[in-house]
Amino acid sequence: MSTELRVEEIYPYARERVWRALTNSRAMADWLMPNNFEPRVGHQFEMRTKPAPGFDGIVRCEVTTLEPPSRLAFTWCGGGNETLVTFTLESVEQGTRLVLVHSGFSGLKGWMVSKILGSGWRSKILHVYLPAAIGRINETGYTPATPEDQLTCAKDSTALDVKR
Amino acid sequence: MARQVSQVDVFRAVADPTRRAMLDILRASEQPVLALAVDFDMTLPAISQHLKVLRQAGLVSERREGRQRLYSLQPEPLRTVFDWLSHYEEFWNSRMKRLGNHLRETP
Repeated sequence: MSTELRVEEIYPYARERVWRALTNSRAMADWLMPNNFEPRVGHQFEMRTKPAPGFDGIVRCEVTTLEPPSRLAFTWCGGGNETLVTFTLESVEQGTRLVLVHSGFSGLKGWMVSKILGSGWRSKILHVYLPAAIGRINETGYTPATPEDQLTCAKDSTALDVKR
Repeated sequence: MARQVSQVDVFRAVADPTRRAMLDILRASEQPVLALAVDFDMTLPAISQHLKVLRQAGLVSERREGRQRLYSLQPEPLRTVFDWLSHYEEFWNSRMKRLGNHLRETP
């Protein structure tokens, strides 16, 4: 059962150039979030975004994989349980294919990701239950929307189940 | 629907495949609890328990008609579920686009 979110993009540039933008703190601040990233396995860093109710706006991370110029991974703890963000770069004819995988959603969030992304349930929500919701989504960046997000960071957390 | 709905309830309610199937059936039309029991080959108390969870999450409403209790879908709380996922997707999609812009503007 897949519990990962996947986004793929092809950029018309050499892999080394894309890699630089992925692993340079100033570049990351430009396209991702302000941060104190360093390209070193085990380095712990923070990224800052807009705070929201119950979320201090700080995403806590640790570099877990650094294989230039093909693979970067770091843990991601944005108020909820710890997940993993992995970037994979591949040279293709048109340039570089970058695959982002955000994985490790546990408990009900894991279910949400796998069921909604992987089945017809998603399109039901989109087209049957909530037609009005389409177009409502604005550029708010990462804004935790559920109580689960507001719990403290814990590996392999089944926070929702504990909460009740 | 005066009850204050907790978001946790909604996630919990739709985490169960039987309850999702119930929502599917109720999407088509209002149903008496007996009809649902037939559809699911479950005991009436088991069906009632599932309906209770859905009701507490604000996903179904109940009304009485004679001796029957009729249930209908209230999809609004599913917005919570949808929004949560949309935020994640939207976040990464927009950041990947921004990376494209960054690459274009930075030699």
